[in-house]
Amino acid sequence: MTTATGKTGGERTGGAAPRTAISVRDLRKSYGDTEILRGVSFDVAQSEVLCVLGRSGSGKSTMLKCLNLLEAPTSGSVVVSGTTLTDAKVDVDAARAKIGMVFQHFNLFGHLNVLDNVTLALRHVRGMGKAEAAEIGNAQLARLGLGHLARQRPGNLSGGQQQRVAIARSLAMSPEVMLFDEATSALDPELVGDVLAVMRELAGTGMTMVVVTHEIGFAREAADRVMFMDDGVIAEEGEARSVLDAPSSPRFREFLSKVL
Amino acid sequence: MSDFLHTFFDWSEIRGALPTLLTEGLRNTLLIAVLAILFGLVVGVLLAVLLLSRRRLVRLPARLYVDVFRGLPAIVTVSLIGLGLPAAGVRPFGRNPLGYAVIAVGLISAAYCAEIFRSGIQAVPPGQLQAGRSLGMSYLKTMRLVVVPQGIRNVLPALAGQFIVDIKESSLVYLLGLGVGQRELYFIAQERQAASYNASALVAAGLCYLVITIPLTYLVNWLDRRMREGGGRGARRAPAATGQEDATGAAVPAADPTTGGALKERA
Repeated sequence: MTTATGKTGGERTGGAAPRTAISVRDLRKSYGDTEILRGVSFDVAQSEVLCVLGRSGSGKSTMLKCLNLLEAPTSGSVVVSGTTLTDAKVDVDAARAKIGMVFQHFNLFGHLNVLDNVTLALRHVRGMGKAEAAEIGNAQLARLGLGHLARQRPGNLSGGQQQRVAIARSLAMSPEVMLFDEATSALDPELVGDVLAVMRELAGTGMTMVVVTHEIGFAREAADRVMFMDDGVIAEEGEARSVLDAPSSPRFREFLSKVL
Repeated sequence: MSDFLHTFFDWSEIRGALPTLLTEGLRNTLLIAVLAILFGLVVGVLLAVLLLSRRRLVRLPARLYVDVFRGLPAIVTVSLIGLGLPAAGVRPFGRNPLGYAVIAVGLISAAYCAEIFRSGIQAVPPGQLQAGRSLGMSYLKTMRLVVVPQGIRNVLPALAGQFIVDIKESSLVYLLGLGVGQRELYFIAQERQAASYNASALVAAGLCYLVITIPLTYLVNWLDRRMREGGGRGARRAPAATGQEDATGAAVPAADPTTGGALKERA
C-alpha cells in the first residue's frame, strides 16, 4: 500500500525548503450574520497533498471554494501559485484556469459529450483550435482509461465514470493545483475506489492537492498533511498519519471515532 | 339552421377564398410570424441574460421592458409601432406595414420569451456555472457555452406556446391597412366577409391558422422528446449546433445522476 512517504519520495527529499503553492491568511467568510469561516490560516507546499476533514457545516467546503474564489472571502488573503486571488486587481479567470476543481456532484456539462466537456475550456480559455484541443482531450481521457467514452453523453455514464471525466476535464488545463470537494461523497460505494485510485495516482505525480473528504483511509494513505476543521476554524492539523493515529483535540477524536 | 350552415360553411365562398388565402395570405402570415419569432428569440435571450444579472442597474431596464410589453394589449403595441412611428416620421420600412408588424409582434414576443428563457436558465443547476467558472471561463462565456444552451432545452414546450401566440398576433397587422400582395390570412378573409356578409372565408382562414399551429405543437414536442431521450448515440458535433439529443433535461432528474445530484445541492 502506498504511504505518505512513498508518495512524497520524488520532489521533496533533500532538505531544500519546498515552494509554497497555496498560502491562506486569516480567511473569513460570513453570510449575513452567520460566520462560516472564522479566521483560517495555512500553507500548502508544492506537491503536497492536504486532506481537509470535518463534519458537515464545519466550513471545509466553503474554505475550499474560497481557494479559487467561487466563494468570495469576506476578509483575509488567498495566494495560489504566487497570485494573490484576494487582490481586487487580479484577473480571477486567468488564475482559475490554473486551479483545477472537482465537485461532489461532478457538474459535467450535460449538453456536451465527454470529449467536448474536456476540451471546452481548452478551446475557449486557452484559445486552442479544435484539432489541438481534441488531441489533448483524447490523451487525457486515455490516461484515465476513459478513451472509449469520448462520444458519450455524461448522462449515460456511471457516477464513477462521470467523476473521472470531471477530473480529466480539470487536468486537461494542466493545473498547478487541484481542489477536490468531497469528490467521492455522491458515489455508490463500489464506485468510490475507481475515483480514489485516480486521485492517489495523481498525488503520486507530484500534483499539489487540497482534498476535502470523508475518506479517512485515503487521508492516511495519500495525504502528507491532515487538517481538521470545526466550527469555522482549524481545530487540528499535522502530518497525516501521526495526527490520525493520535488526535489531540477531543472534537477530532470524537469525529474520527464516528467516521471509522 | 340552414342559414347558420350557409353563413359559416358556404362551400362556394370557401372555394373562392382559398386560392388567395393559400398563396398570398399564408405566405404573408408566415413571413410576419417567422420573422417576429426570430426577433423575439434573439432579443428574448439577451433580455433573459440581463434579467439574471446580479447588478440592479442591468436588471432594471430589462425588467421594465418585459413589464411594459407584456402588460400592453397587443393591439395597442401594434398600433403604436405601425401607426405611431410612421406618423412621427420614423419609417424604417417605408410604407410597408408588414415590417412594422414584424417589429411590433417581435417586441411583444421578446418580452414573453425573456421570461421563458429566464425560468429555463434558472432551472439549470448552479453547479454548471461553478464548473464553467472553475475552468477559467468568464461569466458571460459560461452562460453562452454552458448555461444558456441547457436552459433553452428546458423550455422548448413553453416556447412552442409563444410561437403560436406570435402566429395568431400576426393578424393584427390588419389594423395598419394592407395593399394587394401584402394581405395576410385574416385580412383576406375579413375583406371577403365584409363584401358578402358571409363568414365562410373567416372559417377557411381559421383552418389555415390551425394547419400551422397544431402541427407546430407536435413538432416541438417531438423535438423535445428526442433531445431528452437520445443521448450518447455518437453525437459527433457540439450539440448546440446540431440540436441533438440531450439526456440531462431538468424535467427528467430521476434517471440522471448529474441533474439529480445538483438538485440535491440546491436544496
